[in-house]
Amino acid sequence: MLFPTIEFGIFFLIVFAVSWAMRGAPELRKFILLGASYFFYGWWDWRFLGLLFLSTLINYLAGLAVAHVRSEGLRKFIVGIAVVAGLSILGFFKYYGFFLTSFATLLETAGLERDLPFMQVILPVGISFFTFQGISYVVDVYRGHATAEKSLLNVMLYISFFPQLVAGPIVRAADFLPQLHRAPALTRAHIGVGVVLILSGLAKKMVIANYLATELVDPVFFDPTAVGALDLLIGVYGYAVQIYCDFSGYSDIAIGVAALLGYRFLENFDQPYRASSLQDFWRRWHISLSTWLRDYLYVPLGGNRYGEAKTYRNLFLTMFLGGIWHGAAWTFVFWGTFHGAMLAVERYARKKLDEFAPPHSDPGGVMTAFGNGAQHIVGIVWTFHLVCFAWIFFRADSFSTAGSYLAGFARWSEPSQYVTPFAVGLIVLAMFFQFTPRNLGRWLAQLIQWLPSPMLGLLLGGGIWFIWAVAPEGVAPFIYFQF
Amino acid sequence: MLDLLHHERDDDEYAEEAQALQEAETRRSVMRMSFALVVAAALLLAFNSQSLVTWVNGFEVGPVQDTIVSLAARWNGQMEEQGLDAPAKTVRGEVNEARNMDWAEVERWLENEQARSREGARLLRGMLSEDRS
Repeated sequence: MLFPTIEFGIFFLIVFAVSWAMRGAPELRKFILLGASYFFYGWWDWRFLGLLFLSTLINYLAGLAVAHVRSEGLRKFIVGIAVVAGLSILGFFKYYGFFLTSFATLLETAGLERDLPFMQVILPVGISFFTFQGISYVVDVYRGHATAEKSLLNVMLYISFFPQLVAGPIVRAADFLPQLHRAPALTRAHIGVGVVLILSGLAKKMVIANYLATELVDPVFFDPTAVGALDLLIGVYGYAVQIYCDFSGYSDIAIGVAALLGYRFLENFDQPYRASSLQDFWRRWHISLSTWLRDYLYVPLGGNRYGEAKTYRNLFLTMFLGGIWHGAAWTFVFWGTFHGAMLAVERYARKKLDEFAPPHSDPGGVMTAFGNGAQHIVGIVWTFHLVCFAWIFFRADSFSTAGSYLAGFARWSEPSQYVTPFAVGLIVLAMFFQFTPRNLGRWLAQLIQWLPSPMLGLLLGGGIWFIWAVAPEGVAPFIYFQF
Repeated sequence: MLDLLHHERDDDEYAEEAQALQEAETRRSVMRMSFALVVAAALLLAFNSQSLVTWVNGFEVGPVQDTIVSLAARWNGQMEEQGLDAPAKTVRGEVNEARNMDWAEVERWLENEQARSREGARLLRGMLSEDRS
């Protein structure tokens, strides 16, 4: 069930009405939300409902065990078992085919061809997201950031809550579980935020991402050898905007839907293309994943606590694993590795620059302000192009396609086929919103929350109608569903 | 000690009051949002009835489904008779025009806009000079 469809609209109307009608009985309400979430997941493929339950049960039992055991060693062991179990399920469904194919290629290269146990493994939608949420729960209980839940219902709802189940944001146990213990509440602020985010998410996905995909990005990436350099350049800019609008659009709708049901999710994107460094980019892009990787991988690896060399290694490893998380393909491995390497280079360069010209050594003045401004702008342009370079590998179906794409940048004499004013207009429009005040959405929500209900209905209905009228026909799946 | 007890009772009262206020706000907000959702759904049913037909046409064949398909088609026909599909067609037409525009057309459009603004400025200057004379 995709968000921008009539079936989801009907589903949400029913869930909204029934869940709020049951607000006097909070446990029953949670039960209804859980039933709705399992129905939502079963709509994709009911065969994986058991897997979702199994993954939840492992984490629930591990959470209880960690809370009751006194011995530190045993607690660590239980966390380790739960993490390994979660990652094994993820690894089997997501990477079985990838590792076996890579292993077969390796044997073939070495002249040791063998028959390997290949089988068709279907990737359960959202498995990467609910596995990470499960790990987050057990580790948070171990660290004392979250209390072990006695109620299986609460843990099941935390892991399977339908707005975030299939494509995030990755919600933390410490953020979400306390909300399940409070009386459900809906305020004007929830409504304002919900309506603004649902409308902005639909517009990003249905209009900008879908048009850019069909009119520019898909044809350019389908055969990069058939187009010139201008198409390739605007094509990768288009993909940068498409993936942002697609994924942040999904996150916006998920956060908006959760808000209308009385729950608060943290923001997942913060105008990432206005970042002036890669480090800044990762503070703004897929925030729930980058903070997850930081807290559950980078910090346990040692973070920046054990010297420069280990810091670089940890940065690199974290991004490398972040790349693999996105998908079972070498192009994703390269994407993660590239980001990891560039983050390390950036850290090293900044350290050397700071040694050469320590910050705040200058008393300030017009020239300093001008220099800082220029440096900031150069940083934004440089970071955007680094990210775009990495997107080529993320989007290409193979290294050979990515190689053809890069080689095509030599063909500047060829006329453009796909760079239309419409496509460029969409890119410019989306980029414009990267540089608007970051509280624009909040201000709009504060205005909307005071509208009388008929006006609110007209705004919501009119907004959805307009987006539907402007958007291309048909429904395209979200990019992050494959992860 | 008595004062402390007095304060504790006050805190409980405040907590109860806050809970009652929150419950009242939730009740109002749920009513408000429910009404807004009904208005939004009605608006979409009236102005976007074609999407309903497209959606139900994807149903499997069966007596219930066939009835729904026929009802949706009849509803869409009535909306079209009332001309409620016209705004969506106009918007879609404008978008298609924008999609099919090439750079030469954009250039011509920009030139026309510049010419129009020059003409506006010339007329304004003319009026000003007439006023002075």
